[in-house]
Amino acid sequence: MVQFHEHIISELVEDNNNGIVILSSGLSLHKLISSLVLLHSSSQNTLLILSATPSQKSSITNSLLQNSTNPNPLPQEITSELSAPHRISLYSSSSIFFITSRILIVDLLTSRIPTSLISGLIILNAHNITDTCTESFIVRIFRSFNKNAYIRAFSDKPHSMVSGFAKTERIIKCLGLKKLHLWPRFQVYVSQDLEKDPPVVVDIRVSLSVYMKGIQKAIIEAMDGCLKEIRKTNKVDVEDLTVENGLFKSFDEIVRRQLDPIWHTLGRKTKQLVMDLKTLRKLLDYLVRYDAVTYLKYLDTLRVSEGVRSVWIFADSSYKIFELAKKRVYQLVRSDGVKVSADKKRVENKKRKVKEDQYNEKEVKGGSADTSTTTAVALEEVLEEAPKWKVLREVLEEIEEERQKQATIGKERVENVEDDSFIVLVACKDERSCMQMEDCIKKGPRQVSPLLINVVIFVSAFNVSLVNRDFIDGSINVYNIGQDVLVMREEWEKYLRSKAELHSFQTRSKKKKDPKGFGILNGVVHTMSRENADPTSVNKLEHDALLAAASEVSGIDTKEVIVGDDPQPSASSGGTGKGKGKGNGSSRKGPTNAKGPKAKAVKKNVPETSKLEVSGSENKGPEIATGPVEDGFSHERLLTRPSINKGVLRKHTQEVNGTDCLNAKPLPPVHFYALENNRDILDIVKPSVVIVYHPDMTFVREVEIYKAENPSKLLKVYFLFYEDSTEVQKFEASIRRENGAFESLIRQKSLMMIPTNQDEPCSGLAVSGGPEALNVQNSVTRRAGGRKQVEKEMQVIVDMREFMSSLPNVLHMKGMRIIPVTLEVGDYVLSPLICVERKSIMDLYQSFASGRLYHQVEVMSRYYQMPVLLIEFLQDKSFSFQSASELGDDVTPTSIISKLSLLVMHFPRLRLVWSRSLHATAEIFASLKENQDEPDETKAMRVGVPTDEGIVDNDVRSENYNTSAIEFLRRLPGVTDSNYRALMDGCTSLAELAVLPVERLAELMGGQRAARTLRDFLDAKYPTLM
Amino acid sequence: SSSFSLQNRNAILVSHRQKGNPLLKHIRNVKWLFADIICDYLLGQNSCALYLSLRYHLLHPDYLYYRIKELQKNFKLRVVLCHVDVEDVVKPILEVTKTALLHDCTLLCAWSLEECGRYLETIKVYENKPADILQGQMDTDYLSRLNHALTAVRRVNKTDVVTLGSNFGSLSRIMDSSMEDLARCPGIGEKKVKRLYDTFHEPFRRAV
Repeated sequence: MVQFHEHIISELVEDNNNGIVILSSGLSLHKLISSLVLLHSSSQNTLLILSATPSQKSSITNSLLQNSTNPNPLPQEITSELSAPHRISLYSSSSIFFITSRILIVDLLTSRIPTSLISGLIILNAHNITDTCTESFIVRIFRSFNKNAYIRAFSDKPHSMVSGFAKTERIIKCLGLKKLHLWPRFQVYVSQDLEKDPPVVVDIRVSLSVYMKGIQKAIIEAMDGCLKEIRKTNKVDVEDLTVENGLFKSFDEIVRRQLDPIWHTLGRKTKQLVMDLKTLRKLLDYLVRYDAVTYLKYLDTLRVSEGVRSVWIFADSSYKIFELAKKRVYQLVRSDGVKVSADKKRVENKKRKVKEDQYNEKEVKGGSADTSTTTAVALEEVLEEAPKWKVLREVLEEIEEERQKQATIGKERVENVEDDSFIVLVACKDERSCMQMEDCIKKGPRQVSPLLINVVIFVSAFNVSLVNRDFIDGSINVYNIGQDVLVMREEWEKYLRSKAELHSFQTRSKKKKDPKGFGILNGVVHTMSRENADPTSVNKLEHDALLAAASEVSGIDTKEVIVGDDPQPSASSGGTGKGKGKGNGSSRKGPTNAKGPKAKAVKKNVPETSKLEVSGSENKGPEIATGPVEDGFSHERLLTRPSINKGVLRKHTQEVNGTDCLNAKPLPPVHFYALENNRDILDIVKPSVVIVYHPDMTFVREVEIYKAENPSKLLKVYFLFYEDSTEVQKFEASIRRENGAFESLIRQKSLMMIPTNQDEPCSGLAVSGGPEALNVQNSVTRRAGGRKQVEKEMQVIVDMREFMSSLPNVLHMKGMRIIPVTLEVGDYVLSPLICVERKSIMDLYQSFASGRLYHQVEVMSRYYQMPVLLIEFLQDKSFSFQSASELGDDVTPTSIISKLSLLVMHFPRLRLVWSRSLHATAEIFASLKENQDEPDETKAMRVGVPTDEGIVDNDVRSENYNTSAIEFLRRLPGVTDSNYRALMDGCTSLAELAVLPVERLAELMGGQRAARTLRDFLDAKYPTLM
Repeated sequence: SSSFSLQNRNAILVSHRQKGNPLLKHIRNVKWLFADIICDYLLGQNSCALYLSLRYHLLHPDYLYYRIKELQKNFKLRVVLCHVDVEDVVKPILEVTKTALLHDCTLLCAWSLEECGRYLETIKVYENKPADILQGQMDTDYLSRLNHALTAVRRVNKTDVVTLGSNFGSLSRIMDSSMEDLARCPGIGEKKVKRLYDTFHEPFRRAV
């Protein structure tokens, strides 16, 4: 345990009160919680841990496991899957449980919990708490039964504790807490602990490649453009809208919070701008995370899915993004070795459109001559690798050298070294990067094939199918720049393969489709498509060359598939990749020779893939950064196959000869972790070197904690930053942002007023009692003679599933008794006559689209005299569907107005209730219940339940079914209301359904036709892009 | 006169009371004409509508009640078309809702005169329309159906559908994919991967 954790705990326990702890992210909240849990064990009552995420649960459990002194059984989980009697026995078992708030509130409301046997509640992720959320509901009810138990809330996301007006204060009030404990990273104890013996930090700045820089600049320009446009609308407060803020996810919140109340008044363009900013942020992020080919592929995907709508895609700067991204992957070369000039021109020219038109004209003129002769175009692969890859390898080599050195120094220490001192941990942001990086390192050593493979492919046969082209010579030149290229090659081949598939798809479907994507790329969509009979236009050439290359790759691939046993092209393993490389080289020897001289010439064109400046790793001594170290949970991927030590080619290989495998350097054992996996990997792997591949504040803190906990261990941390990139900017801004949040919290704390009577009886109701008390007064004056309000408590029967929403809480605040049961029909039963189906706006649209609403209303009308559809708007969003300007001129079937009209016409007995907010709903419910009988719980439960199934006691349906799978199933063609149940019985999961033969499907679905439809849909080839 | 009644049948009949209501300007897709009727708008043989502006309701809280009382019971669908033209809506809407509910009227809210007009038009135009657009039918081409199916999984958007499609090649491959393969798709984060994987691999019915 770190020392400041002890401070936190003693502070919490000391005042034996209810408090909330906010600490900096990465300061090992899970360890803090597990220490608390350990302390608790001595007492005899049950402890419940609320709203922990799955990853938090597992890390808490893990750190308990590691603590050998733990006398307790590990915390179990209570979910609605356990039966009610089982749950009751657990509640009184005096142990520790994780519990979902939904089941806890249901059990509290039905008095299943012996509340006196609960010694405390621990609430995690306190930043998610609002006045109306289920957790506050729980605390309120719980407090009314048990006033002695403690309630402790925790959050390690300080910036979201300050994201609204007096948010922290409100959270403290609705949880009935008394004290706010703040533990920022800069707190004295914390920084003392962490800086006592800091790890050695090496800060490596890698410069972005020229193209990457260009892309980054272009994206930022595009973002800036979007922001300017948004500002022009005068609808938002400009202050927060900066590009720096734009780097964070929370930026969306800033914008949405401002725009939501007026969302319906915004034009389509503004809405699109908000979306575009999000897309651009992603692009920026992916630029440093994805390799060049994947990045291009992602851009292609975007262009297809967003092309029509987006504003930014047409901007000048986004043209640059696409163009540069392409250049990182391939370039077009004439067969005489001259780069197709348009490319260069385009980049240099600001007035691109004009110039290009001129260019095209020229081409058109010269076209006739050209087409009569043979036009040859070659596709030259560039396949730029990520600059960090190389640096990573160098760092690994350096580490290995050091390891060897140490090994020679003292032999008796060697074993030590082997055991743990030299475990290297590489922390990446996502699983994807991990896998790729692993491939890079793993495949490197095996790469011994010739350094230059030059392949020329004649594609005349292929081109017969193309419009009016005589002959085209497409060729692929393959340059192996470094070992990492292998990985790139695989991606590239996948990319080409998808193109080839597309092409065959297009030909098959006989759809004449213009290469629209390219049109957009060049910003001259219309002219291009009209004139595209001109075969020499650069786009066409490029397109053809790509296709040629693609057909080549897929040709190889089919061969490979026959030989190898890998039927899925997407899963091509290292082995096949390599095979391909060799195959290319040997089978095409003839042409290779012919092209020999040219190849050399072109080689100079190939950029020195990455110019890297490694500061501090070789020439200068290591630079010790004073800042915090890097962080990261991730997930473990072991690479320790002994063969790895055989060696890796050095980066200069390609300049020398194919023979210098001797140069290869051994690498130490490496683990890769994806930060997004959120596991406390540091404690599991115990690395002595951490390479932070993607900087992340939380991980930095974790490394610090790890070091503080293991002071004897030598720990070296390498940071790989892209210099002058948004990556650095984002990292630094995240630290600034957190500090800012804490400063604001400290200020708030000094001004905060926390009521001292929070323990008083009925305190929970008092918090929300304002409006209610008023209500009572009102009714007194209204009713003649000030007659006392009816004593009887109002009752509402609520479906279990509804406890995901806040309405039950608000109804309870209003003084109604909530009876949770499982309802087959409706969400709320107000009286024997009135049944309510509640729809938030989003639900309303979705369930209209899926047809679910129609069905729900249908059964509700069947069983209840007054079926009600409650349309509930959100308090902080606009109270309307759309603005008048969005209405359009005609009655259209897709409009929400049409759907609602049709619904009320078909169900004239259906009553609509329009509610402004949760609180308004509660009032409407109350007024509807006047003069009505109270609903009957058992009757309501029976309604709509098929009699042959009987009533399952306390069964929470949504928990027993994989609802999204069922929804998915029902959306498949051929699946109908009458046959989906049989399908669910016939196979356990969708994965199983995916491989079911058509005969079996026909059996289950009761018909060949439906089965065919389904099978065909499942197996239909996805039309490839572009 | 038969031609007149035919004309009547295809038009919205408007009560003389509604003369001067700017709403009439926005009934453009359907013919309308004045007639001697008790309700404000006669939308078909079995359906009629009353128009109520919330602002008016605030001045005359009993107006709606008396209007509903005059209506005969022989309409199947009796709409109260409520024009939300005040800022502070909670109290007046509560009152209108209660009145409409207790007297067998369907309440439709609209926020602009255009929208009011559109409701009236739609109910007239769809007089004999079956409910199939409500029953979940949609475009039948491959991509829309694929979109429709995959977006049943929470947070999966159209871009993800394209990504999944082009990475796996067919729906059955997507449904049968491993978690690792899903994670390899650009743009699909850890949470989505898990959600997709669970949808495909968790059994339809969980442990009994």
